[in-house]
Amino acid sequence: MKEDKYHLNDPTWCRGCGIYGLFAALKQAAVSLQIPPEQVVIVTGIGCHGRLNNYFNSYGFHGLHGRALPVATGIRLSNSSLTVLAVSGDGDAYSIGIGHFIHACRRNVNITCIVVNNRVYGLTQGQTSPTSQKGYVSVSSPFGSKEMPLDGPLLAIISGATFVARGFSGDPKHLTSLITKGITHNGFSLIEVLSPCVTHNKINNTKWFKENVVYMDDSTHYRAEDRTTALEALMDKSKIPIGLLYRKEQPSFDDLSLPSDRPIGLLELDVDAKKLKALMEDFE
Amino acid sequence: MIDDIQIMIAGHAGDGVLFTGNVLGKILKRQGWEVVTYRDFPSNIRGEATNYTIRASLSKIYNRGDAIDVLMAFDCDSILRHISAIAEDGIVLCEGGVTESIRLSQKKGRTFHKFPMREMAKKNLGSEIFKNTILLGGLCYILDLDLKIIDEVLTEVFLSKKGEEVVQKNIQAVIFGCDEAEKIVKKEEKHTLVKRPDIDRLFIAGDEAVALGSLAAGCRFFAAYPICPATEIWQWLIKHIHTFNGLVVQTEDEIAAINMALGAAYAGVRSMTATSGPGASLMMEAFSLAGMAEIPLVIAHVQRVGPSTGLPTRPEQSDLNQWVFGAHGDFPRIVLSPGTIEECFYFMADAFNLAEKYQCPVILLTEQNYGQNFYTVETFDFSHVVIDRGMLLSQADLLKMEDYKRYKFTENGISPRAVPSMKNGIHMVEGNEHDQKGYRDEDEETRIKMMDKRMKKLKSAINDVIPPVFWGKKEACVGIIGFGSTVWPIREAMDQLEDKGVPCKYLQIRTLWPFSASEVKEFMESCDEVFVVENNYSGQLHGLIQGQGIECSHVRKITKYSGHTFRPIEITESILEALKQ
Repeated sequence: MKEDKYHLNDPTWCRGCGIYGLFAALKQAAVSLQIPPEQVVIVTGIGCHGRLNNYFNSYGFHGLHGRALPVATGIRLSNSSLTVLAVSGDGDAYSIGIGHFIHACRRNVNITCIVVNNRVYGLTQGQTSPTSQKGYVSVSSPFGSKEMPLDGPLLAIISGATFVARGFSGDPKHLTSLITKGITHNGFSLIEVLSPCVTHNKINNTKWFKENVVYMDDSTHYRAEDRTTALEALMDKSKIPIGLLYRKEQPSFDDLSLPSDRPIGLLELDVDAKKLKALMEDFE
Repeated sequence: MIDDIQIMIAGHAGDGVLFTGNVLGKILKRQGWEVVTYRDFPSNIRGEATNYTIRASLSKIYNRGDAIDVLMAFDCDSILRHISAIAEDGIVLCEGGVTESIRLSQKKGRTFHKFPMREMAKKNLGSEIFKNTILLGGLCYILDLDLKIIDEVLTEVFLSKKGEEVVQKNIQAVIFGCDEAEKIVKKEEKHTLVKRPDIDRLFIAGDEAVALGSLAAGCRFFAAYPICPATEIWQWLIKHIHTFNGLVVQTEDEIAAINMALGAAYAGVRSMTATSGPGASLMMEAFSLAGMAEIPLVIAHVQRVGPSTGLPTRPEQSDLNQWVFGAHGDFPRIVLSPGTIEECFYFMADAFNLAEKYQCPVILLTEQNYGQNFYTVETFDFSHVVIDRGMLLSQADLLKMEDYKRYKFTENGISPRAVPSMKNGIHMVEGNEHDQKGYRDEDEETRIKMMDKRMKKLKSAINDVIPPVFWGKKEACVGIIGFGSTVWPIREAMDQLEDKGVPCKYLQIRTLWPFSASEVKEFMESCDEVFVVENNYSGQLHGLIQGQGIECSHVRKITKYSGHTFRPIEITESILEALKQ
């Protein structure tokens, strides 16, 4: 399967938006994994990222603001043959959906969560987001944001996530490799994508991200298996680490909970009177 | 001969009242009686006053009765709290001595005895823990319970969890309690119950019936957050669903629960969630999404007292409006209201079938007094459970289709449904307004056609939902309308009214939405007087009837919102009083 198999429509995001980098990386990851489009479900939240389903050819679910993760969890647990991605924004995943985010990390269902982080609310026209830096001036914080920004990957690690990565839309090749690894990881995987908003965030633009990211990978002798190293790298606020930041092999929720390998959603349903009668005897 | 009896066990939370009541209920069921339990519990673990009423009858019953015939009390306060309800020939056994105010009440023909269960347990069996089985022993004497049955039930309760020794010790306590009661209770004070065969019957709570019903109906995914009084549904299911290759997930909140259940339903599983009022409020946004995206989702809602946290462990019928009118936007929904425990079971198959046939959310609206209380019912007949998956496509069907459209415009508004992983079925599920393939579309014409498509599904559903039931004599001029569990106190009140020369008829609504307007209109037109009886403040069913444009000038409301169900006599008296005016 080639890239055009996953390309449904040409996107109409703002020209220069970082999310084009994610779109390209996603298609490349699908090509490298050779997953048939009907085996992919992309669940999106509300925000500019939510248009992804209109451009990427796969099953798509564009639900409610902040709720992509529980929907994705329900889909994956119902059909374990599917590759399920929850694509979200910084407002969607880290603000309104933060409760689900933390619990998805600790639940460790075999889904991939991609958070497109542009440090601003784009679709609603430029309000401050939970990842906007302190002092950030916007229509919703005209005197500068008074709150500390939230670090998704850091929160994910301490919440029990087993695969935590951060990529940059300006390096789609690197991002493709992270997404590919995230999809093949057994358990919950988070890939945060730093993605400049050309329309609303004039501070954290492509140039700014390029100057501030630092690659954490084999070339820097970074060990993603070491939790302490990962936490230290993320807590050092002088730079923004990108790469596969933390990985841990452990059984997923699916491994521990699903009664069999047969996808629940594809079962023929019948009324097994004999088995049900046996259960009913408990009440006699 | 006694054909109907009500026993109350009263004390404080932590006294073991619930345990004793459940065991007694099961014993009476095995002795061949129809049993209904009624738990009156505060929302805490220890300390506050609680009581448990067990009504047993030789005929079918579904609600607590009016008077208490036997009261077993762990303290004098418990007697004083219920003294007005004690029958004139009632008997009371109490842990403590008889106080002055109780002595005064005794004059009415009631008898009171000191029965120091705690003290006897400590002194004669070595631990206070046996106070509850000593209490059972007391009842064994008063009611002439079969010791063999008590032995059998206690063995079932204790053997696997606590072992043979505990079983024997408890049976010893029962015999001890029985002997002690014989010393103090006179023969003429006894309330001897006959013994009948117990064949093909269950002793089951409404939540358990819903759980078993959902499993029989093919529910294979369940996501929920703990809440009184709905949690028992999935606590039962979680023990068994894996043997049907299904899964229950406890979520972080109700928002996650409904969204997860929606994801599962979209992926092709018969999926549900369960909750009560506060959880339902959190679910409203996703409820609207289920309507928009045409996802077959089932929600079991066990009503408790609102608003806000209200009275979490007590019954009310005040969430009708929440599901009939709740959530933003116009979208189709179906709301079912079972009136018996049997219907809690059988309606689950209807709920799933309707959800899949009409591709919309379906709510099974029950009540705390059904959910958490036990009832004797006939064993369920699984041959009555039929699974109809509506327009769900198979892979073979789908491969034959050209240019598949998930939201295809059809005559009745229902479109064939593909699920993820199916070839040739790729589509989009959108919370935004969308075109026939599911992709976002803000075109005016598409918007109108899509709204019409979704809403017209209910036009065919109205002939397919569960019709109301008529009770009583056609020629009666006084009509009663109600829904849910009020059916039983209403029917008992009808007997009382008949005795007083006021024959009534009654229409029990079983589908609250789409509303059975033509049946209700016809019924109301045949009455001179109509009473809408419901367990809420504002008369939500009354409002629903009014909203249908049905002539309501001869209609009066009888409501109760005290945190308790109606006693039959309350309905009888309200109607008699109203008719006088």
